[in-house]
Amino acid sequence: MSMRELVTGGAACAVPGSSSSSNPLGALANSLLGSSSKTQEKLNELPGTAVTGPSTSLYSGGDNQLSTLPGFENEEQELRHPDAQASEFLRGFRGADHGGFADAWNEIQRPQLPPHGLRGGPLPYTEFDRVYENGFQSQPPPTLDGPPGMVLSNFLHSFMRSSGTGVPFGPAMLPVLGLSERDKLCIRDRSSIMARHFFADKSEEFINAQVNTLLHSLDIDSDFRAKGPIPGRYPELEEYWNESQGAIQPVIHNPANGWINEFSQQKSLHSDPEAWVNMFEQQHGAKGWASEFQQEQSQMTSMNQINSANMAAMEQARMLAHTLSQNNNPKFQNSKFHQFVSKMSRGELIVDDNQIKPAGVSSHVGWAEEYQQQHKGAPTSWVNEFAQNELSHGTNGWAKEFSAERELHGSVDDKWVQEFSKLNVNDWAEEFGHQVGEGVLGESSEWLDGYNEYLNEQQAVKQQSNSSRGVYLFSDMNPYVGHPDPLKEGQELFRKGLLSEAVLALEAEVIKNPENAEGWRLLGITHAENDDDQQAIASMMRAHEVDPTNLEVLLALGVSHTNELEQAEALKYLYGWLQHHPKYGTLAPPEQSASLFFADVAGLFNEAARLSPDDADVHIVLGVLYNLSREFDSAIKSFQSALKLKPRDYSLWNKLGATQANSVQSADALLAYQQALDLKPNYVRAWANMGISFANQGLYEDSIRYYVRALAMNPKADNAWQYLRISLSCASRNDMLEACDSRNLDVLQREFPL
Amino acid sequence: MPRFKLTFHGYAVRFSPFYEHRLAVGTSQNFGILGNGRIHILDLAGAGAGAGDISETLSFDTADGVYDVSWSESNDNILISATGDGSVKVWDLAAPPTANPLRSLHEHSREVQSVDYNPVRRDSFLSAAWDDTVKLWTLDRPASVRTFKEHAYCVYAAAWNPRHADVFASASGDCTVRVWDVRESGSTMIIPGHEFEILTCDWNKYNDCVIATGSVDKSIRVWDVRSYRAPISVMNGHGYPVRKVKFSPHHGSFIASCSYDMSVCCWDYQLEDALVSRYEQHTEFAVGLDMSVLVEGLLASAGWDQLVYVWQHGSDPMAGPPLPPPPMMG
Repeated sequence: MSMRELVTGGAACAVPGSSSSSNPLGALANSLLGSSSKTQEKLNELPGTAVTGPSTSLYSGGDNQLSTLPGFENEEQELRHPDAQASEFLRGFRGADHGGFADAWNEIQRPQLPPHGLRGGPLPYTEFDRVYENGFQSQPPPTLDGPPGMVLSNFLHSFMRSSGTGVPFGPAMLPVLGLSERDKLCIRDRSSIMARHFFADKSEEFINAQVNTLLHSLDIDSDFRAKGPIPGRYPELEEYWNESQGAIQPVIHNPANGWINEFSQQKSLHSDPEAWVNMFEQQHGAKGWASEFQQEQSQMTSMNQINSANMAAMEQARMLAHTLSQNNNPKFQNSKFHQFVSKMSRGELIVDDNQIKPAGVSSHVGWAEEYQQQHKGAPTSWVNEFAQNELSHGTNGWAKEFSAERELHGSVDDKWVQEFSKLNVNDWAEEFGHQVGEGVLGESSEWLDGYNEYLNEQQAVKQQSNSSRGVYLFSDMNPYVGHPDPLKEGQELFRKGLLSEAVLALEAEVIKNPENAEGWRLLGITHAENDDDQQAIASMMRAHEVDPTNLEVLLALGVSHTNELEQAEALKYLYGWLQHHPKYGTLAPPEQSASLFFADVAGLFNEAARLSPDDADVHIVLGVLYNLSREFDSAIKSFQSALKLKPRDYSLWNKLGATQANSVQSADALLAYQQALDLKPNYVRAWANMGISFANQGLYEDSIRYYVRALAMNPKADNAWQYLRISLSCASRNDMLEACDSRNLDVLQREFPL
Repeated sequence: MPRFKLTFHGYAVRFSPFYEHRLAVGTSQNFGILGNGRIHILDLAGAGAGAGDISETLSFDTADGVYDVSWSESNDNILISATGDGSVKVWDLAAPPTANPLRSLHEHSREVQSVDYNPVRRDSFLSAAWDDTVKLWTLDRPASVRTFKEHAYCVYAAAWNPRHADVFASASGDCTVRVWDVRESGSTMIIPGHEFEILTCDWNKYNDCVIATGSVDKSIRVWDVRSYRAPISVMNGHGYPVRKVKFSPHHGSFIASCSYDMSVCCWDYQLEDALVSRYEQHTEFAVGLDMSVLVEGLLASAGWDQLVYVWQHGSDPMAGPPLPPPPMMG
């Protein structure tokens, strides 16, 4: 609805029984607003976010203006002169004697009666509202804050979320939101209908309590049974579902005094801080498991610290945690409300003075102890069985273990719960509940075994990947084996940029002379430039074994581990570089190498750079270090300083490009890579890096061309084949995936020439 | 596959029957309890390449939540919507913004939760509302053609039979599904399908006698209207009420469903182990769902986590374009 219609009260505003079309403001509005109206609909701004227009009739606000639809004129003709099919359709209507077109038409033409009764009439309870508000104003200040729209949204959100828990939705003190009658009606009707879907597996009373709490907090008349449940539906299922919820008491709705009861209930609810707790008890304490438990509890003498309502709430929550834990869905396991329920079940949250509060640490520990005492004190119960089981296992018991861990982690807060749930350990409370439910108490240590097994597996996997990495894989059928001077040949091939050939020659060298550090080192450099990092690391590790003080080897290993974001390893080698450097060795005391911290190492290198600002290598190592800490701006500065001193170091240009790419400066990165390629056209790693930069910018077709170029130079660069595959699917070139998978470079080069 | 972030909470999503890359999404502020609505017209054309996300080509704002949308089967630019204020609105994508909505048909006295365009007689559509009625409309008439008032509680869904132009089914909170022939005076069949409210129903696209229902009782049941005393299949697996069921346009026994348990499930009701796959992309209630008629296996879902996902059945809805690897220093 446009602004003009808002003022004039045009068709859209037509409230049944009122005529507002001849509004004198209309002329004024027309002249003021002209035809600037942009939207036909007046949006339903929430109070506080914009001026609220005059309230329209209930659920109206639509634009009744009719216009002929484009493209439908012809069909209208068709209907007037119906073809065979259409006339059959019409006859069908006429044939039926109840509601032919004429009747249907008349039905529509009849004036729409204003909605009446409970199902949508305007709230007739103005007096009620006044009284109600008086009661409400005497309440403590609101606990939710912010713009009204936000408060309302957050509050509704918490209502929705409470559907997953079954934990009663706590009343909240809200600021005056200025909701219109229509807004209130919407919230009332919709939340009560929708709540019956969300809370389907809860009792009718629970649903009513939830909705009442919502409506009451929003200061809305809660006679929401306008669209209440249909009596006598849900026979068996409801019973089944509600077994654990306590008594099912059919709600008998008396329209005559419904709202009065509701009001008095809620009034007392708000005037008495414990009323809510009582209500909770009433709801859940009548019979069922919870109350049985409560009865058992009441026989205990150690129940003084926690009131029974909290115990009931805890048990309720524990049962829910149990239900949730049986739902294997990790989303539920990780959800906030599950954490909330878990906390509730552990007594970390208590219901106190109408609010959910975190319990003190002492009371929590107290609860755990109490629980154990209860185990001893209830001779015939399962609880006792469990306690005995625990004792027979000779352990200190999960409770103490848990308490100990709790103390370790400090205070009761969300952080702890999150931390705990991060561990791949099932929450003991849920596990306990689960096992109690399954009656497998004797096997209660099973999950612990499972967990240990899992840890061992993880360890094994890690070790495996570490060991496989250091192994150098030699090529089959090496023509350079038997060559008189494979090292010289390798150096020559490397200089010419024939990297894959150089690899073969250098392999022949290290087979011949396994103790030749230079052979291994150059082999590692060649693999790195050829974009095969696994082999590069393996060669460099062999070179390092042979010559632990070789600076180039130490730097290369530092760079490789930085590429893998392995900070400790990288720091070790880079610190080694400093330690074994003839000029800076004094800066790095050997005893420090046992415990290296990034800031210390970076400090030492900055000191070295201060001592000799013209040593490009120091700047290079600093640049690598800043990559490790992901301080890319500092890393870029260091590499740029080094490049002023060593402008023809192609691997340095590549380092700069990679750093710029990591700090999302793809355009600069491409320039740096291009510098590297100008200096060394067969630098496979730089070609692959260019492909990555294009892919980062979403230019997948371009990235494919660069990957293919890199692969044409070194078909053994496994990483580049993977990158190529990703880019092919991102570019929707699935037709070339087969060529990629079969490593058919001919086809790929033909399809993607550079 | 791509996804789209909504301003409000997602309620409904529908693929255009004309363009394989076009989608309409109905959304509501504050979970549809209070506030405005918005219809997004989304385009998938650029998705997959480039940024990999869905782009919006158009949006329409409404003064109340949009609970459902349905594309016209005869005009590629016409969309109808079900609105919380009881109105059914007709939108024209080709019309200037000031001309929209083309119509606002205001007859229902309560929230309209479902609209469905007749796929056989392509000039009429249905609306189902919380005022317990279903209404039949044609685009060229200013008022409804007929009102079907038999249900004793909210009608949450109405769905046309894919073969018979005059037959549709309605699902209601009165725990029944009713089958209607618009030429008959009353409903032709009452199926007391569940013991809890029935939130959704859909017809098999390959067998015009088979209908699926989804309920607050968390189950999906498949019925043969020729012998509806007992369901031909009961599929359990959702942990909360089933909000929407949808038969595949490509496979007779394939059903997709979404639920307040936040998941989207695919089923083959003729298999003993009916659950084919479960998708967990949503982090709040999954409410809207559709299957593309034009692209086999393409699914779309909308949820209260303000996200729309479009994905190929069998693929991971959350898998975006893979991240490029980090560059390597030499």
